[in-house]
Amino acid sequence: MILWVMPDSGDRSKENYASFISLFKKENPSVDISVRVFTRNVLWRRMFTIKHPTHEEEVPDIIQIPHYWTALLVREGVATNLSELDSSLSLTDCLPALKDHCYQPGTKDIFSYPWWCDMSALHYRADHLKLVTSDPARDLSTWKGFLEICEKLRDTFKDVSGYYPVQNSDWRGSLSMRNALPCVWGKGVDLVSSDFATTAVGTKAFKEGLRSYILLALRNYMPILRERGSLGTMVSGKASMMISRKQGLSTFGARRTTRVRTLPVPATGAQSQAYLSGMNLFINVLSQEKKNALKFIKFCAREDNQKKYTSMIDVFPAFEEPFYKLLASAPQRLVAYGNILSSARTLPNITITGTIMEILKHILAVCATQIVEGRFTQAALDRALDQAAKEIEYLLSIYEG
Amino acid sequence: MFDKKSYTLYKFHKHLNQSFQNKRELLECALPVLRNLFKLDRAYFFDWQQERALLSLRMMCKKEYCMDKQEDISVIGEPAFLKQLLQHGVAETTDLGYPALYALIKWQRPSMELRDGEVHTYMQEKVGVIRLERFRKSRVFTPQEKDLIKSLAQEISHNLRNTEIDQTKNQRLNVSTALNDLSTIFASSLRLNDGLELILKGVKKYFRFDRVRLYLTDAYGRKIKSVLGVDVSGEVMHGDVSALGEQESVLLKEVFSSSVTYRSTRSVFYIPLKVQRNKVGFLAFDNILSRRPIGFLDFISLQQFASQMALSIDNTRLFERVQELSNYDELTKLPVRRYFNEKMAEEIYRAKRFNLTLSLMIMDIDWFKQINDTYGHQIGDWALQEVSKVVRSCLRQTDTPCRFGGDEIVIMLPRTNSDEAKLIAARLQELISAITLPTRYTEDKEVHLSISQGIASFPMDADTSDELFEKADKALYITKQNGRGHYAVYREIADQLDQPDGE
Repeated sequence: MILWVMPDSGDRSKENYASFISLFKKENPSVDISVRVFTRNVLWRRMFTIKHPTHEEEVPDIIQIPHYWTALLVREGVATNLSELDSSLSLTDCLPALKDHCYQPGTKDIFSYPWWCDMSALHYRADHLKLVTSDPARDLSTWKGFLEICEKLRDTFKDVSGYYPVQNSDWRGSLSMRNALPCVWGKGVDLVSSDFATTAVGTKAFKEGLRSYILLALRNYMPILRERGSLGTMVSGKASMMISRKQGLSTFGARRTTRVRTLPVPATGAQSQAYLSGMNLFINVLSQEKKNALKFIKFCAREDNQKKYTSMIDVFPAFEEPFYKLLASAPQRLVAYGNILSSARTLPNITITGTIMEILKHILAVCATQIVEGRFTQAALDRALDQAAKEIEYLLSIYEG
Repeated sequence: MFDKKSYTLYKFHKHLNQSFQNKRELLECALPVLRNLFKLDRAYFFDWQQERALLSLRMMCKKEYCMDKQEDISVIGEPAFLKQLLQHGVAETTDLGYPALYALIKWQRPSMELRDGEVHTYMQEKVGVIRLERFRKSRVFTPQEKDLIKSLAQEISHNLRNTEIDQTKNQRLNVSTALNDLSTIFASSLRLNDGLELILKGVKKYFRFDRVRLYLTDAYGRKIKSVLGVDVSGEVMHGDVSALGEQESVLLKEVFSSSVTYRSTRSVFYIPLKVQRNKVGFLAFDNILSRRPIGFLDFISLQQFASQMALSIDNTRLFERVQELSNYDELTKLPVRRYFNEKMAEEIYRAKRFNLTLSLMIMDIDWFKQINDTYGHQIGDWALQEVSKVVRSCLRQTDTPCRFGGDEIVIMLPRTNSDEAKLIAARLQELISAITLPTRYTEDKEVHLSISQGIASFPMDADTSDELFEKADKALYITKQNGRGHYAVYREIADQLDQPDGE
């Protein structure tokens, strides 16, 4: 059986997968699993080719996907109907916000099953922040306050070589649309309207939201397109804050000297918004081992395994029981993430969400290069977003109309 | 005898001396060997995007395995490093806090481009970088190691070139096999529409586009007549031409007025289908959902395939036109006798097989000879055309009319008994009697047309085609005898035929 996954835990992904899969193999010695780790980019492209593999391409059995790809895969006819495969399969215990992303839109047929999830939050070093504010929770509640803190931190640490107020959590070291989403949502707009007929991408509010996030790079508060290994981290003292969807608590907790606190992402509008991102598993329709694949999916969803895997890669379980147990296991986590969860949002489960994210990712990649080369202009970004809006509305008319 | 460097190079060469499907496979083999040779902690491969001054991380090797990675690093602020790397092929960096050595890899891959409408093949230079890391500060790379790494990088470059050439050959082979398969499918399809559906499905499957659409236009390329498409699910769909609205003319102008050129950034292509000056339509391919660029090889291959496709569609259209001409009467646009007879035989067979009824109606324009003699043949032809228009417009799709000769029109009415046939006859009479000859030819007299009809039905009146004709003709004869402008069913007037003066 072949499992295609993403590098959930960076450089340690292969080791973590090997260790998790060894647990499955212990229970199912006759089932052989090979793991292939692909970046999200590669997986995205392969989602459009796996239906017709060439003779030299392998056929995966189970594939890890972000929650908002389900509708696309159903539309393509690539995902197996899990409800048909096992009518007893249910999403009763799944976190409510993640349920809709497992179904074929408009039906209760399950096509992908939740594995784990993460939520965007602001992590900060308490010792660093203490130097610039007496009340971090208050000063970091708004984006304006956050930028002011960044400025103060930079002044305070100006003698520390390679210091940045904000550590870039994006794996590509670039501007990340997923990290920018809370800023956009904070302005009261979303990628698409609730009836999926129009997009807000070209609107003033969307542009302002995106600009709030880009300011981190423009003002050099956060490094972009720099060698990750050459940059300092919060743990090493070369950064003080980080907007990340991973819990980070276990990483920070490992260094007892570093006291890290967690807050909601600073609000660009009236209320803070968090991005709740689920990771699901689906079974390829071409799989010859659907029963074993389903066995693995059920194994991943089991409470003990949810706990084991999510703690390995520093994220959250996708099912209520283990999720709330994890929150309750540490008072600090319960308080911090209790607030964040109440404002958490997901991306819509429609055919074109993945495409919209690709379009915006490309725009941000161009922005990042322009910022580094010192030729970024807001007008150029606005034009790109206007163009993107037209393209998205065309896509909506084709696929969601 | 080999010295140590030559021996290492030889072993490395031996290790890579195998056939790799692609760059990824080659690197998955080469990086772990480098890691072992130099006792590295990590080895990385980057693509160098020169236009954006970015090193894009693609693969990491750690312990015994390799893993896809993605990270963009700007080298715009590193002129000294770049200079050293480009001049010497290797460069060291201390940014990471431990020894790291970069080695330049340059290779060539076959590429194609369009120049003056011609496809040119050339070798395009690609640049990559490998980075070798040792986490212990004391384990710096010695000059001998640097020299050896530079030579090994050249070996990788050489292998990358061969792998890319093999990959391109395989791609071309796959494409030509696909096109060959598609041509066979098309050639073996009996109906144009079936063939086109199979072709579109095939193109979608082999070339793995998100959508493929075929727009068929009139010969001038001014109007889209139909749209056939295959969407992301692989299902064939008949598109709605009217949905294009005002965009239709813009689209047609764009497709036919400019020559289609390849742009690597585009994920939508239109390829016009033309045969000499005749426009047939155009093909549209897109990857707008997946955002994958369409490869030049695919584009060029499909462009060549499109000419074949255009020719086939044009031939089929021509064949259909010839068929139309041979099956339909030029003046009245009604089917001719041969076509009618074939249909009649089919319908009689069906009626017998499934116990269905069928009626045959023969009609004449009353006083047609007099119209010709009085007002000329031009008016006679006009009258025939007007009557045919009425016949064509008021019959059902299943009915088949035919110009049988002169002013005689025959109508076959499947699944129709004599009572239903009479209703149709009455409707035709009513509509035709409303036709008046143009007054400029009749000296302002109002001359109305009228018709006489004879009807015979299967199976009540006859059970063969010839017999039906005979009985319907007799019924028409009696109608004419009885003063014209009416209709009669054979069964109802059969007794009149037995009388001597009715013969």
